[in-house]
Amino acid sequence: MKTKTWIILFAALAVLLAALSAWTLFWGSGHVVQLVQDGTVLREIDLNRVTDEETFTVAAPSGGSNTVTVQHGRICVSAADCPDQICVHRGWLTAGTPIVCAPHRLVIRTAR
Amino acid sequence: MRKIVFAVGLLALLLLAGCAEQENSVDFFAMDTYLSIRAYGADDTLLQACKTRVESLEKKLSVTEEGSEIFALNENGQAALSPETAALLEDALALCEKTDGALDVTVYPVVRAWGFTTGEHRVPTDAEIETLLQLVDYRKVLLSELLASVPDGMMLDLGSVAKGYAGDCICALLRDRGVKSAILDLGGNVQVVGTKPNGKPWKVAVRAPEGEEYLGILDAQDEAVVTSGGYERFFIDENGVKRCHIMNPETGCPAESGLASVTVVGQSGTTCDGLSTALFVMGREGAEAFWRAHGGFEMLLLSEDGTLFITPELSERFEAGNYPLEVICP
Repeated sequence: MKTKTWIILFAALAVLLAALSAWTLFWGSGHVVQLVQDGTVLREIDLNRVTDEETFTVAAPSGGSNTVTVQHGRICVSAADCPDQICVHRGWLTAGTPIVCAPHRLVIRTAR
Repeated sequence: MRKIVFAVGLLALLLLAGCAEQENSVDFFAMDTYLSIRAYGADDTLLQACKTRVESLEKKLSVTEEGSEIFALNENGQAALSPETAALLEDALALCEKTDGALDVTVYPVVRAWGFTTGEHRVPTDAEIETLLQLVDYRKVLLSELLASVPDGMMLDLGSVAKGYAGDCICALLRDRGVKSAILDLGGNVQVVGTKPNGKPWKVAVRAPEGEEYLGILDAQDEAVVTSGGYERFFIDENGVKRCHIMNPETGCPAESGLASVTVVGQSGTTCDGLSTALFVMGREGAEAFWRAHGGFEMLLLSEDGTLFITPELSERFEAGNYPLEVICP
């Protein structure tokens, strides 16, 4: 009886852990990205659902704009008329570090 | 049965302990960059206080914002500074001195002439650079108590240390309020408070110049990790030469020292910030000589041909990516 209870307890724990890791693997880690302008989320994109390349423009309230390119699984700022071009030089988004265009107050980051 | 209850109770306690210090974060634009603060056990009020602190610093230190103390100093040739700005200026001038002018807080007119402040990039003529260089000399900045003065036409800019100083201020504020675990990213300057909540060091990724890659991952605890590189702000001139935004105060031209980036690790964000710029200008040999002579910090240099040079202590807590790594002899 005692051993049986332990087995059940550990089995339950193992199932729970497996479910949790599966969840983080498939839903938790960042393929959903957010385009944020000065704190407001403009758009959310699930990069895994992107099939055809898409390019669109995000206008900055202060004037100027950033051209964003989205492909299956990845996103970048492909052109911009900001003075420093840091967002363009940055290339494709990687987990952890967002793409930032400070002059246009635009951030592209993985959704939390 | 009793044992099971005990085990379940213990598990619940562990889970609860894990939840006690909740993660909270804030991100915002200030100081021409994007700042994000992630802290454990900090409430919204505290994070808001951090944001306000940075914004008030920017109002004092900005070189372009009318009404800032630095703006007034540049405009009038002299100004009465707040104790905080005066103390930061004193620290910055000491760094200029220590690096023998590889860092110079008066190089701003040259940076402006190359168009890095406006985005209208251009290569100034030799004569123009020659004239501007006469306005570049940190030794001519005078500070007596709170009164600062600069010669006519000279412009002071604390941008090379301001982000690091802002990081130091935020860390101090968080520590004061009992936060034991936090990580700050101030436009590429990373500063950490304590360790991760689980007691392990923070993992700080050092960015590589080439787009998506990392140079490697660094274990960090209660310190600043600041990287300066020529890969973020640059332009290509008419002759196809890449011109980066880090100026050599001696030549009045973008630094061409054979380094692609410099990462400095140490206690003070202000010092790391200023040193990363200075060591980039000095180049590998100069940086190694400086480190041997002064110490007190760790560094990671990436040469333009893709080799990493690292100080011995740092090499023990750095996991390199795809770059060959050489340990610098003490």
